[in-house]
Amino acid sequence: MITEIDNSWKRDSDGLGVWEHRGKVAIAGFGHSPVDRRWDEVSLDTTLGAYAILACQKAMDDAGLKPEDIDGIVCCPTTIAGNSGGTASNWAPRPYFDPPFDSEQGITRVNADWLIQQLGLHNVKFAPASAPTISEMVGLASQAVGDGLCTNCLMIYPTGNLTGRYRRGGPNASDMAPGESQWTFPWGNHGGNDFINIFPHQEYCRKYGGEHDDVAPFVLNQHRNGLMTPWGFNYQNDIPQLTKDDYLTSRYILRPLRLWDCDRPVNAAGAYLFTTSERAQDMKQKPVYVLNHSEHNFPFKTTQPTLDEIEMWTDKTAERMYEGSGLTASEVDIFNPYDGYSIMSQFFLEAFQWHGVNRGDAFAFYDGDITVEGPHPFCSSGGNLGNGRTRTAMYTDSIEQLRGTAGARQVTVKAETALCAFTTPSSGGWLMLGNSPD
Amino acid sequence: MENKRIIISYDIDGTVVPGDPPGRISIAMINESKKLGYIIGSASDRTITDQTRIWERNDIQMDFIVLKHNLSTINEQFSPLAGFHIGDTNMDEYYAKDAGFEFIDINGDFDIFWAKLLSGALM
Repeated sequence: MITEIDNSWKRDSDGLGVWEHRGKVAIAGFGHSPVDRRWDEVSLDTTLGAYAILACQKAMDDAGLKPEDIDGIVCCPTTIAGNSGGTASNWAPRPYFDPPFDSEQGITRVNADWLIQQLGLHNVKFAPASAPTISEMVGLASQAVGDGLCTNCLMIYPTGNLTGRYRRGGPNASDMAPGESQWTFPWGNHGGNDFINIFPHQEYCRKYGGEHDDVAPFVLNQHRNGLMTPWGFNYQNDIPQLTKDDYLTSRYILRPLRLWDCDRPVNAAGAYLFTTSERAQDMKQKPVYVLNHSEHNFPFKTTQPTLDEIEMWTDKTAERMYEGSGLTASEVDIFNPYDGYSIMSQFFLEAFQWHGVNRGDAFAFYDGDITVEGPHPFCSSGGNLGNGRTRTAMYTDSIEQLRGTAGARQVTVKAETALCAFTTPSSGGWLMLGNSPD
Repeated sequence: MENKRIIISYDIDGTVVPGDPPGRISIAMINESKKLGYIIGSASDRTITDQTRIWERNDIQMDFIVLKHNLSTINEQFSPLAGFHIGDTNMDEYYAKDAGFEFIDINGDFDIFWAKLLSGALM
């Protein structure tokens, strides 16, 4: 039961006005699997598929729904280890297992069709085949419910990891840079955001002052928040709190990017239950309303973006989110931008001007009190850096903060609205949430 | 006993049993290398705190605990006749060579190396 869709659902241009479904869609449940460093290649109850099933069951339980209530499913069918992940991407040519683990589905990938079968979701009528990453999936699920394509939509984001060097297979493992890769991967790097953002980050330091290691307080605080997140990797694996000395003595991955500026690939799954605001009133949890979603994919002018481009892209994104939600910067209580590399977050913080932070102010802001107990609880989720590369922490924390169930991470400031994202400066998406539909 | 001048450096993840993923080298094997008089320690990307915790939990007294990229710094401390770093990735190989150590691939010729270690024939 796969639904073919185009990209017309996306809110990816300027001047769209307030989202037509603002406050009419809600998140009524979420669920997380355990977060392992990688699959042990033996235990079928800890495969990516098993974890996706578990996360879905938890999300349905959280909302008080049963499989027969689900009529929409949005699942990312690709492997987060990427096409060039080599041995970290595919189980084959190793032999598969008994059904339902008799293909890559359930081991390194999970798609909607596989989940429909495993969970017995017989009433699903909306199951798009193309659901790229969580940034777009939350927007797609919101739009689908708002448009009436489904009423109770499960959105699942599996993030797999097998033994082997993550994203260092295929061409990335080569000592050669043939063809056009001589211009894009001249040093054999895979071209991820570590590489993409290094140049603008250095430009940032030159333009506004400061140095790379000024991001240390942010990274340490992400780890601190992660240790207050019971479902996250650091908490579950008793990882010691990162210290400033640990950060400053860590090795460079791509100078000046340090080991702790990068997130830790994990094997995990997270799921969310989107529904109509009307239905959410009768479910188990206090509804968290979707006030806007926005997607973007800005074209590069050259192989590497400049600081000017990144600032323009993030400014545009902020403008679209504020316009579509009808909120202003001063009305956003919880701010959970993406931190998959620590050096991205400053661009988002300054573009959205959260707590009055303007261009060039981020390092000074990091040096202040950004703890969850303080006046500026930036990234209260702990993000990827504090929880592992699940890309879900930003969303779950925002929901928990608005519900008032964030436990040790519960902020002491007002928590009625939240902005959250998985996005790079150039591509991804944002979600605005609120305690009230109005 | 020349073993006292030979460094055996253990990577953790993918190399020793308490690593993630667990490796082939058991705590008993590490203890054995200690008893034989080698200078033993760990060199990992895990923080010093994290590495220390692992050895404390397993009741092993390491002679050194360093960050992997600082492996070369232990030469000054011990002035060894030789050093060996056992690991599972090309980063282990890179930093072993950087320190002037011989890299022992846990997934390669490790068994031959270990037999020599036990028989005192590393030099």
